[in-house]
Amino acid sequence: MQRREFLKSSLAGSAAFALSGLTVLNSKRAHAATSNIELSAEGTYKTMVDGTSVYVWQFNDANGSGPGALTSGIVVNEGDVVNVTVTNNLDRAINFVIPGVMANTPSVSPGSSQTYSFTAPAAGSYFYTDGVNGEIGKAMGLSGPLVVMPADGSDRLYTGGPAFNRQYTLVLNELDDRLNAAVAAGGTYNMDDYEPNYYFANGLSYPDTAGDGDTLVSMNVGENVAIRFINTGCITYPQHFHGYHVNVISRNRVLETRVIEKDTTQVERDMCTDVILPVAQAGAYPLHTHYVPGVTANGVYVYPYGGALIVMVAA
Amino acid sequence: MLNKFQKIYTMSMRRGGGGGGNGGGGGSTTPPAGGRTFSYQAAPTSVGVSMMGNLTMADGASLRTWYFGSGFNGDRALAGPVFEANEGSNVQITLSSMMPHSIHFHGLDVDQANDGVPSTSGYVGRSMGGGGFGRVGNATSLGNSYTYTFTAPHAGTYMYHCHVDTSLHFEMGMYGTVIIRPANGDSNVAWAGGPAFDKEYIWQMGAFDSSWHGSRVSGAQTARYRPDYFMINGSDGANASNDSTVAISAGAGQKVLIRVNGTSYMPGIVRLGGLQFEVIASDGRPLAVPYVTTEQLCCAGERYDLLVTMPSSGQYTASIEYRDIRNGKALGTVTTTLTVV
Repeated sequence: MQRREFLKSSLAGSAAFALSGLTVLNSKRAHAATSNIELSAEGTYKTMVDGTSVYVWQFNDANGSGPGALTSGIVVNEGDVVNVTVTNNLDRAINFVIPGVMANTPSVSPGSSQTYSFTAPAAGSYFYTDGVNGEIGKAMGLSGPLVVMPADGSDRLYTGGPAFNRQYTLVLNELDDRLNAAVAAGGTYNMDDYEPNYYFANGLSYPDTAGDGDTLVSMNVGENVAIRFINTGCITYPQHFHGYHVNVISRNRVLETRVIEKDTTQVERDMCTDVILPVAQAGAYPLHTHYVPGVTANGVYVYPYGGALIVMVAA
Repeated sequence: MLNKFQKIYTMSMRRGGGGGGNGGGGGSTTPPAGGRTFSYQAAPTSVGVSMMGNLTMADGASLRTWYFGSGFNGDRALAGPVFEANEGSNVQITLSSMMPHSIHFHGLDVDQANDGVPSTSGYVGRSMGGGGFGRVGNATSLGNSYTYTFTAPHAGTYMYHCHVDTSLHFEMGMYGTVIIRPANGDSNVAWAGGPAFDKEYIWQMGAFDSSWHGSRVSGAQTARYRPDYFMINGSDGANASNDSTVAISAGAGQKVLIRVNGTSYMPGIVRLGGLQFEVIASDGRPLAVPYVTTEQLCCAGERYDLLVTMPSSGQYTASIEYRDIRNGKALGTVTTTLTVV
């Protein structure tokens, strides 16, 4: 909690940046910088919202992991030189890839470190993951968000794009605890049998999503709020907004030109969907996948929902 | 458990829960000759809930459904009545139920008080102690009857559904379609100044996991979702071609509007037997740029309005191919007919 408060206060004066576990390096500036980021891949047990303990993999940064099973996020400015050093504390080789930016990178063996360098690409929403272990790596949680802000430091989804008053990054993923148990026991799992039973937004399930300042979407009537859905999971998330229609801006950095005004927007696997929410009315409204089993925890409701249900509150 | 549950339900009906219901509940088990039709309801209106529906599938299986209804005799056992209103009008819809249920007006952007979400907006009925079918946690009961009130938004296609224990109640069939007409009530244009049509159909997508549709369902049974029946408007297999709400029939050159409602958990690809159609709207809003295609993906919660011009003659096989939300693999296809008469 202290860490999250720190991340927020470090951005005082700019639009609130909302994502737990982020290594926040960008501030308003007009020149490129070099960012050095250290991540470690760890295996750890996480407690689900119903009390079940599940073995997951995640990338931790120097400050530790984010909430829930969310691994660390990276925020940089377009044009920055980014050096990510990954220390692998898992029992098998991994690497560090960014779909659309960087593939086929060298692997890092257990107990070793490897530095991956890249120039921050065009402003937009991305994610990083492991490219060695296929879907198992993602299903176990080896992924994290990468947000690239415009080089001029403006509060826009891309250079010259629509401006926003505040932004939230909502990482969507899920797990099938049978897969995690198999991996924990040293085995593997057939992804054809993958049937998730726990679902997360920023690594959290409801009601924890509503108790986390970076996942509870707080906003004011009249504002334009940017929401970045980043699907690091292995299913499609059709995200439904109660109370509002949103404008779909881009899908994996490709501008949407045809189907813009939506109350439900698809966020397919490996997809980053950026939307702008014009806050037209006050109130508290849910934001959730309409694959409605995704708002349960192991098929059961908790208080009275579980899963990846997010709460939006507009004053 | 079932007896207690049934008793409460019957009680609610006697107290007028069904909006003129027959007191017994229970949907029709076989489609009447000529196909089932929707009950179209102009606002203001009132509905109750049946939790004793039986839907007969093409293979003869009988699946339990729960559904919104206005009388239950002659109501469909899946997909509730169609609510219609004119853009800008004040709409009032009263839900009566002793069991915990609600109506979420999906996409109509109603205010919080009328949003139908137990934790933020309350629910209709009373809580079942100790969990079970209608667990609503610490949410507020609005009483055994509540009138949802809102202003009808932009003309287009919307959804409504129960938001209590949504994963189960929605799957059991507690959903339907809202059509908002232009402010002047025109029923042959999609919106004021929008495309005109001669005939319209509503295709409510549906994929059932039959293991969720027994007489008793509990949370532990709903941890994983494996649909095995694939429907439009509750009709699967040969039934979908015999259901007059599904099978499309219109004259050569006529324009038919198909309102596709994403009321299944799994996404589906809509095809009209290779015919080209225009996608004119989604989620109750005109597209920024309409487009012509031969197939349209519709995910859970979405709506797409498709405009097809009937060819000069012939019969076509239209279909919805349901896809697995995990890996995109085909799960099953429901087919119906598109016939030029």
